[in-house]
Amino acid sequence: MLLLACRRVVLSLAVGAAAAALSVLPASAADPAQLIQSTATEVIEIIKKTTPGPARQADIQRVLQTNFDLPYMGQQALGANWNKASEAERTRFLKAAETAEARAYSERFGQYGGQTLTVGKVTPRANGLFIIDSQLSQTSGQPIKLQWEVRDAGRGPRITDVKVEGVSMVMTRRSDFNSYIQSHGGSVEPLIAELESRAAR
Amino acid sequence: MHFKVQAACATLLPRFWPGIPRACGGPGLALIIESVSKSMTAGVRRSVVAAAMAATLVGGCASGDTGAAEVWDPIETPNRFVFAINRTVDMIAVRPLAVMYRDGVPEPAQKSVRNLLDNLGEPVTAINEVFQGDPSRAATTMARFLVNSTLGLAGLFDVATMLGMKRTKTDAGQTIGIWAAKGVEPENGGFYLMLPLAGPSNARDATGLMIDYAIDPFQILPIALNVDWFYYSAPRYALTVVDYRSRTMFALDDLEKNSVDYYAALRSAYTQNRAELIRAKREKTDTKSELERRDNIALVR
Repeated sequence: MLLLACRRVVLSLAVGAAAAALSVLPASAADPAQLIQSTATEVIEIIKKTTPGPARQADIQRVLQTNFDLPYMGQQALGANWNKASEAERTRFLKAAETAEARAYSERFGQYGGQTLTVGKVTPRANGLFIIDSQLSQTSGQPIKLQWEVRDAGRGPRITDVKVEGVSMVMTRRSDFNSYIQSHGGSVEPLIAELESRAAR
Repeated sequence: MHFKVQAACATLLPRFWPGIPRACGGPGLALIIESVSKSMTAGVRRSVVAAAMAATLVGGCASGDTGAAEVWDPIETPNRFVFAINRTVDMIAVRPLAVMYRDGVPEPAQKSVRNLLDNLGEPVTAINEVFQGDPSRAATTMARFLVNSTLGLAGLFDVATMLGMKRTKTDAGQTIGIWAAKGVEPENGGFYLMLPLAGPSNARDATGLMIDYAIDPFQILPIALNVDWFYYSAPRYALTVVDYRSRTMFALDDLEKNSVDYYAALRSAYTQNRAELIRAKREKTDTKSELERRDNIALVR
């Protein structure tokens, strides 16, 4: 009896150890691709089940918050001006930018008309980056090339950029914000005010 | 002036972008453009080469920054002015027309118009593919043109795609970008230029537009055959504008709505898109430097 108990204990210990070992393995290449696929599925579900409006925007904002690394993207979008901003300004900026992004994505996805996203090659790069190529089928014409950048900073893989036909969302926003900041005296405050007023609309 | 630019570029060398010294200026570019332009008539050649030489000599450091390079825009004020005019004309005339076209004209008719316009552009694409060193693709494009012009009733029906010949589109701006000297990044297209009506462009692409216009058989032939401008050129370019506007409407509306500075966002998006088209073709011979570039950007971030 003692022997059986021992064996069971040993077995459960072994299973536990195996599970623990698996969980500390580095993220396999399948995870980023799965992240993209699950994001797409979640968004499609939301679009199907909700009508355009604040509820849909809130749902999509939640998807963005879990699957995208929004603080990192916001920091990238501010570029060199991040260092010039105070802590309070950074928080306000991230919050306003997040709402703006959620609204933008909500409207973009609202145009979804049954296209399918085919996830393709996953390329691991240095610094924990993964580049995932994918294609969005179109009803007429060539499929759109989407390239996703996924980064694992310890909290699991998160999307940090989307490139549509080579146009990076983060880079475009960075140019946009930078130009606005330069033309408004070089401080981040006017930009934050503008983003907040847009979020409030 | 050329040497001053070079000296300035050398001092701005960022640590993580080894290609920077060669990315400024681009004498190789000028040589290539010269050879391409030798096949054109003297008048056109002079103006094209003048523009191209101007673009390369004042090539400047578009990539003075690390990571995300700001597009070099030395004539930003006139560009913004032209942009404002473009937007007004667009809002008053072009966009309503494009909306009426998109909503009113039945989908098959829109497809036929697009096929027709694409077919008229195939010879230029084929010529550019030859210059890009891709003769097999050029042969496919010419085959597409022949099939669609005959079986497809002057291009209204895209029979060639059904037969398995995929459509490719390229232009002289991409050809110049591909032939540019090794250190010239695809993002570096010379100074940014906002063309009246035609929209965003840069020194390289505007030169490309002029070259394409000059070598387009469907622009040379009507003149040689004394076809009145009213019967061919005007309808063709009007249709091109409306069709193109209706196709890009979603993307441009999205960009305008979600940017605080539409001009800057459009400038960035345009430059990135063109760079991607060129990079996709250069990548075949330049994979190592492309991966290095991505690694460098990751480091800088």
